[in-house]
Amino acid sequence: MASKKTIKSAIESMMFVWGEPLSVKAVADIFNMEKKEIYDCFKELQTEYEQEGRGIVIREVNKSFQFVTRKENLDYIERLCTPVRKRRLSQSALETLAIVAYKQPVTKGEIEAVRGIRCDRVMDGLIRKGLVAEVGRADSVGRPILFGTTDEFLKQFGFETLKDLPEIEDIEGALAEEEDDAMALDGILGQISLEDINR
Amino acid sequence: MSYRVKLNIFEGPFDLLVYLIEHARMSIYDIRISEITTQYIDYIRQMEEADIVLSSEFMVLAAELLEIKSKMLLPRTSIDDIEGEIYEDPRTELVAKLQEYKKFKAISAMLEERRDDTAMALEKPQEDLAEYTGEPDEYLSLDIEQFKTAFELFIQRKKRLEELRAHHIRTEKERITTEVRMAGIRQFFKSEGLRETDFRSLVPNKKDKYDISVTFTSVLEMMRQRTLDAKQKKLFGEIKVKATDRLFEEGETIKEN
Repeated sequence: MASKKTIKSAIESMMFVWGEPLSVKAVADIFNMEKKEIYDCFKELQTEYEQEGRGIVIREVNKSFQFVTRKENLDYIERLCTPVRKRRLSQSALETLAIVAYKQPVTKGEIEAVRGIRCDRVMDGLIRKGLVAEVGRADSVGRPILFGTTDEFLKQFGFETLKDLPEIEDIEGALAEEEDDAMALDGILGQISLEDINR
Repeated sequence: MSYRVKLNIFEGPFDLLVYLIEHARMSIYDIRISEITTQYIDYIRQMEEADIVLSSEFMVLAAELLEIKSKMLLPRTSIDDIEGEIYEDPRTELVAKLQEYKKFKAISAMLEERRDDTAMALEKPQEDLAEYTGEPDEYLSLDIEQFKTAFELFIQRKKRLEELRAHHIRTEKERITTEVRMAGIRQFFKSEGLRETDFRSLVPNKKDKYDISVTFTSVLEMMRQRTLDAKQKKLFGEIKVKATDRLFEEGETIKEN
């Protein structure tokens, strides 16, 4: 059986050639080894690259790994060339995507109930962008299509797995704090303007 | 002249309502329904005046708001309390919906931030691996989704092309016709005073395939009319073209006319 050093070295070369996320399963098949062992090798490599502060880091996307550049270096890359930026998503696309991500598998009807507005076109757009896909059919009347997010979604939004999605409570907490800050700031500004008038 | 404006500020009726509630500095748990309903309907009116096409969902929420408003105007009877029924605030359902909506609006803001952050790390797209695999180009290592996307792209491109063809006409420099070339050949024999020549000397531009072929068909046509005679001694050899008397006679008849 190949030594860990050999495997890690091989994984590095394979990732280099492959470019796209390389699945743990593919590598496990090549070495005829357990997926868990290969996964650990990937993880070790990832840590090594991270710790040494290399310009290339390893990104995990749903049990697959790929080389990407270090975020901090974007500025330098942009001075060398202009990488194509992904177009921003519209507000409605983001809202719809948020609902799909947190409620999946979800039907169009359920999404529309949350947003209070139809979302056929937005969904078509998300499907075309490869962020959302059909994942099956609900057992309810009419067997409506169920939608879920794709690996492309994980990749673009920097999640390793769906389990990485932050808890909704955490997001709400952060939001509430922001609101409080805004209120407090308003109060201060109010005072200042009053003082100014008094002068 | 009427014109249409499309405002994208509000993504839906909830978006507008949440905006109005926050703008009025109300708590989402204690909405002053009467005030907010007036504002909401005012806003819809304004948008209609601006000729903005509103989806029916905006109207549905307006109706819901009015229903809640009217329910709240009804006095609470004490009989309910005696019977032990719990008074349910007519706003409860709406508040729950708005809360849910706000939750996902917050999530969408988080997602946007994450996407921007993730986009700072660049990946290299997979290059053509045919060189490594030695497999034929036709080999498709696509999953069904990728294949679907590729096919859809192909259909889109085809549609665009058809649209383009329907609206635009491809124009080309007009090319010489057999008739013109035949007249040219007739002219050539007459002015040169020759009866016989090489086929090659009848072609003005020997590098242009079209020119060669149009001359060739002209010669064939003139042979059919018996104004020319042509001979080729061996395969791919020189073609000798000879003018018959008819060619000269023909010219004369035209002159006479």
